[in-house]
Amino acid sequence: MDQVIQTFIIGLSNGLIFALVALGYTLVYGIIELINFAHGDLFMIGSMIALAQIAGIWHLSSATPPLVLVAVIALVIAVTMVVTAAINVTIERVAYRPLRNAPKLAPLISAIGMSYVLQNIANLIAGPANKSIDNLFPTTNLLSVFGITTISVTFQQVFVAIVTIPLLIALSWFVDRTRQGRAMRATAQDPDTAGLMGVDVNRTIALTFLIGGALAGAAGVVQILYNNVTVYNLGFRFGLNAFTSAVLGGIGNLNGAVAGALVLGQINAFSDRYLSANWTNAIVFGVLIAVLVFKPTGLLGQQLADRA
Amino acid sequence: MTTMTVKDEDPYGHGVGGWLSHVGEVVFGIPDTYRRELKLHRRRTIALTVLVVLLVIYPILNKAFLAAFSRNVFPLPLPDDTVVTFMMIFGIMAIGLNIVAGFAGLLDLGYVAFYALGAYTAAFLASSHWDSISVVFLANVTPGFPGIHLPFWIIVPMALLVAATFGALLGAPTLRLRGDYLAIVTLGFGEIVPVVFRNLSDVTFNFSLGPITLAAQHLNLTGGSLGINPIDAPFLPFANITFDASSGYAPVYLGMFLLVIAILIARNLERSRIGRAWMAIREDELAAEMMGVNTVRTKLLAFALGASFAGVAGSLQASYLGATTSDFFTFSTSILVLIMVILGGIGNIWGVLLGAVALVYVDKTFLPYVGQELQQVAPGLPNPAQFNFLFFGLILVGMMRFRPEGFLPNRQRAAELAGAHTQAEIEAKVDEVVAVDAVAEVEAAIEADPSIALDNLGPPPGQAEASGDARAPETIDEEREL
Repeated sequence: MDQVIQTFIIGLSNGLIFALVALGYTLVYGIIELINFAHGDLFMIGSMIALAQIAGIWHLSSATPPLVLVAVIALVIAVTMVVTAAINVTIERVAYRPLRNAPKLAPLISAIGMSYVLQNIANLIAGPANKSIDNLFPTTNLLSVFGITTISVTFQQVFVAIVTIPLLIALSWFVDRTRQGRAMRATAQDPDTAGLMGVDVNRTIALTFLIGGALAGAAGVVQILYNNVTVYNLGFRFGLNAFTSAVLGGIGNLNGAVAGALVLGQINAFSDRYLSANWTNAIVFGVLIAVLVFKPTGLLGQQLADRA
Repeated sequence: MTTMTVKDEDPYGHGVGGWLSHVGEVVFGIPDTYRRELKLHRRRTIALTVLVVLLVIYPILNKAFLAAFSRNVFPLPLPDDTVVTFMMIFGIMAIGLNIVAGFAGLLDLGYVAFYALGAYTAAFLASSHWDSISVVFLANVTPGFPGIHLPFWIIVPMALLVAATFGALLGAPTLRLRGDYLAIVTLGFGEIVPVVFRNLSDVTFNFSLGPITLAAQHLNLTGGSLGINPIDAPFLPFANITFDASSGYAPVYLGMFLLVIAILIARNLERSRIGRAWMAIREDELAAEMMGVNTVRTKLLAFALGASFAGVAGSLQASYLGATTSDFFTFSTSILVLIMVILGGIGNIWGVLLGAVALVYVDKTFLPYVGQELQQVAPGLPNPAQFNFLFFGLILVGMMRFRPEGFLPNRQRAAELAGAHTQAEIEAKVDEVVAVDAVAEVEAAIEADPSIALDNLGPPPGQAEASGDARAPETIDEEREL
């Protein structure tokens, strides 16, 4: 039983990271019906940028005083989010916007090309080997305070939740409550009508890429601080996990993406623990195929992309 | 519909027999056709003849003297035997993917799965992998040698069948999916197949059903991450030729032989009833269905036939290299073939062939050569051969933006990608209709029901949904930028 709970906790932290990336897929698909293949690689770029800052600029280690650590990590997250957001908006401008009126598969193919470009740029700069940092957080089991020793919750796992959950709430607030969020929802429903109603469609789409990129950057920082390792081709596998989450929850549906990510995090964790890590990818793809074939609207249905 | 019952006039009869007799006629008619072409287009025919002869004897030329001084004479390195053999293998693959993605318009991102299935079919049927049994049949192996050893000439049709079966199996559940979802499902399939081959190296099961009990302990089904080797090389019995990596240009001709068959089949398919049905589905699935095209059967055939080409290519690759591991079959390979198809000209057989030759050359000869030269000039610089996919990624992005129809475009497909239904064209068409019919009638109809005036401008909503990727850009979308 302890083992199951432990696996569940690991799955939860996995799922929260997936959620940040999955939101990027679902936002973009909801608004322009594009599977942004390069999004996973953007997440990888985010983790690389974070790694460069943590190890290269700030030289953080577990010996750094806690207050400094917190401040610097907050700065690293902010900087990474800005950079990845800028990259994502640039990609949209260069590779996707000129293809807005092309047949639907043209932007998808362009996105696949972009994914390889990002991967190889990371490979070029960081090299093909795994890049890792030291664990910055104390390794004590937080549950030992309550006298529980058979299950462990680490600082790293709490950190994932501390960063992820506020971002998810902020996004939800932004899309539901603000003027720009309304413009996004309108564009997702019908870009032409939204345009006629005075929504700047191009700007709204760019904004969507900006938000998606920022979330991917945050996920990258969380990933490097949680797993302490990244590599240039991490984005492919991770991106497909996140995309599967988005599809599982109903692509275009923000809450669905988070729910799908949490489910997929558990699938990953339980498959790693009880089956074999070798099979995890095959299982994730199996889930993806099964959902697409049997219930393409996902578990919670499509909301943003009703016209899909 | 009554039109469906009309028999098309086919002097050769129907089915495989008719097809074979047609192919026979084409082959035996070559001398006559050639003489006629020579008379009509003298220059072009002579130029093409010289080109084909040069291509056919290229390996010999290369071996005999070009290779020796190519570095001094030519500005660029010439591909060697291995590279040319891979040009043939990828040529077959590109032609196969062109059937699925080019003719039928179904984007397949997991094409490598069928390549893997073909390679593993060869590995299972022509190696010592199953060493507890011994089946030697017409192979270049001493009888009693452990393992199953079948000749390459039997493996090729087997690989074809295996790949085609899996192509149809994959196709069946995905028929209802739209363009991009289909692409992702095929991608998933392409990732699962190598994982299965990699992981089934230690299988233990105990399965009993009534009196039948199946059990195995640590059964090595697929060789795991080491793969299976050695695999028997293709062998031509009477001429005593072995086609392996060390036998020079012989495998080039084996590849060329299979490639020519592939080209013949693909060209015949393109011009056949089924080929026209594929293109009809690509242009507009709903309209094709209305015209009596059986879309389910047609799409399944596209998947199965397209996959069979990759199966053949895979069996050739495994037999030629003498080894196979699951690492050969990554997503990148699927994308490589896709780039060949897009670069050359999606839908055009000669275009995709050109794409295959060009890309294999760049990947296996040009970039390593540049890398070598760079190392001499500036040893610190990264080797471009390791970053081949940086260039390929840029090619994909650039092609989609500037020349989506490829360098040797298929005419129909190019028109479609360029957006044949521009606003001006449609307005012209509407004007024409208005001029021919009575203007008053149209106006009266619009007055009675204002919505039909808008309907003239765009495709009906149902059609836009069903035709998926192949649809022409919607007219309204083009106004959005204004």
